[in-house]
Amino acid sequence: MALMELRDVVCRYGRRVALNEVSLAIEAGEFCCMLGPSGCGKTTLLRLVGGYIQPESGTIFLDGQNVTGWPPEKRGVGMVFQNYALFPHLSARENVGFGLEARGVPAAERRRRVEEMLDRLRLLPGERGRKPRELSGGQQQRVALARALVIEPKLLLLDEPLANLDRHLRERMRDELRELQRRTGVTTILVTHDQEEALSLATRIAVMLNGRILQVGAPRELYERPRIPAIARLLGDANLLRVTEARDGSLFLEGGLTLNSDGLACRPGSEILFRPERVLVGQAASAHPYQARGILHGISFLGADQIFDIGLAQGGSLKVRAAPDVLPSARIGDEVSVAVDPANAWVIPDPDPDWVATSSQEDGPGNA
Amino acid sequence: MHKYPSRLQVLVLAAPALVLLLIFFLVPALMLGRVSLYEGGGQSGFGIGGSFYQPGTWSLHAYRDLLTDGYFRSILSFTLKFGLTVALATVAIAYPMAFLISRMPGKWKMTAVAVVTLPKLANVLVVIYGLKLLMGTTGLVNQSLQAFGLSSSPVDLLHNLTGTLIAEIYLILPYAVLILIVTLDRIDPSLALAARGLGAGPWKTFWRVTFPLSLPGVALVFFLSLIFAFGAFVSPYFMGSPEELTIAVDVQRQTFENLNWPRGAAEAVIMLFTLIVIAVVWQVLTLASKRPWRET
Repeated sequence: MALMELRDVVCRYGRRVALNEVSLAIEAGEFCCMLGPSGCGKTTLLRLVGGYIQPESGTIFLDGQNVTGWPPEKRGVGMVFQNYALFPHLSARENVGFGLEARGVPAAERRRRVEEMLDRLRLLPGERGRKPRELSGGQQQRVALARALVIEPKLLLLDEPLANLDRHLRERMRDELRELQRRTGVTTILVTHDQEEALSLATRIAVMLNGRILQVGAPRELYERPRIPAIARLLGDANLLRVTEARDGSLFLEGGLTLNSDGLACRPGSEILFRPERVLVGQAASAHPYQARGILHGISFLGADQIFDIGLAQGGSLKVRAAPDVLPSARIGDEVSVAVDPANAWVIPDPDPDWVATSSQEDGPGNA
Repeated sequence: MHKYPSRLQVLVLAAPALVLLLIFFLVPALMLGRVSLYEGGGQSGFGIGGSFYQPGTWSLHAYRDLLTDGYFRSILSFTLKFGLTVALATVAIAYPMAFLISRMPGKWKMTAVAVVTLPKLANVLVVIYGLKLLMGTTGLVNQSLQAFGLSSSPVDLLHNLTGTLIAEIYLILPYAVLILIVTLDRIDPSLALAARGLGAGPWKTFWRVTFPLSLPGVALVFFLSLIFAFGAFVSPYFMGSPEELTIAVDVQRQTFENLNWPRGAAEAVIMLFTLIVIAVVWQVLTLASKRPWRET
């Protein structure tokens, strides 16, 4: 029995469908990330699980109970809002104690549990008496997390919890969040549009677009074996090339790239995914039996690695992520070789449904 | 970079308001103060035929009279009690109304705000005479009360305290509701949701979160209503009885009926002084309760 389950949930804002027959089951202890561009319905889904909005149709189960229509205060779900929603007139301590007070926990126990939770989230004692406005973004976030966790929720909901932090702090909080979830074992649903966040935190990712869940799976599975091209584009950078011809054990792709068809089941028209870090370039490619020529259109050196933008001889382009010592003296306009091993290619099984094509263009993939 | 305006620019921008205040408030206020310090007309009775005051004299007579006069003291204390009652009642009536309107969806909200503001588009005398019609013994209010069996005989709503209070609250209510709508709208709606999610029911959420956060607006409405009602003239004049005299009404009577200008002026000065005290108390309270979360 799943800890949380949505069955055929439909949710509408006026005439706009926010969730279109969504079903999802989450097991106890999971860290599930809902990933998608803004407006895809992921926050709606979170608010639905928390009871802050009610579905038009469909059923929500929590811990085996049908909780559809229940108000938030009956659900025992902890939520961290995107802006944290800390009570501005209460101190950090009072904020954290709010849920316990509402549950009628006696004052002495309340105090103990609040301090314990704040210890756990490493909020210094001197900061606990302060109002939210007197706390930094990171401290506010800790208070928000403590407030959601201290009530020992069945389920923890996080709405873009790291979006308001600067990059450095975001990465640190990400690690802390993962650690916290692991230690407490609380089943967590996190909503984000940041693919890196989803990939690094989740035990499972559900990719959403246009009010629907497109695919659910482990981060590695979604990254390496997306079901449709739109998912490939949402998660990381994707080179997608169409198969033009398959013959004599070789695949001919648009742009003039050829590929040993070993183990790749596909037909003309299929799209093949190569992640930029899987494409060989320079010497490694020159030695490869299936190589193609291309012109360097762009080089961006990032320190740990570098990104080449390569225009293929017969049209189309490839993004290649290579180690910093590859083609160290390359210049824009140089001719380079590129190649791909069939083991590093993935034939995308299904084409994008019609409704994806329009919406993904509007939103852009993974707008960070 | 934001550039602060220079001193000259500030002066130029503030000049129209300053000139207006100077000519139409400060100068008349000083003249009022001067009049209150004249010796009275020296006439007995209603002073008809005599002068309104004795020019060229300086005297605290008017003030001494007022402070020893039980009649004026009763008017002053009635006016204060009237102001406090109106202020409390206005907050109590306006708050639920504003709460309801602030939670309406967009189109309904606009309509509701328009309806609330509507009475302010009519001249105050028109409004008062309208109220008189409604609240008379054969008016709509009494007809309804009887039709619904809430009262067997007409209830007296005119020329008594009830009528005065209703009229005064009616005149202040639109301002109060508008201020409270703005206050409630400025509270982040996710705060109430967060409280619910933490296990607080709607009632507890209101008392622990929404209401405390709306207190600055409540205080503003309270003091504004108090100041309005303390200076009330129209509603006690038209709806009240001689027992429900506010200072403003008595100023008018002393000046134009009794023709005792120093006394009328002295009453007006005391009224002004009381209002200034109220305003200062309000400011001090506001500053004392200045919390970091209010500076947004």
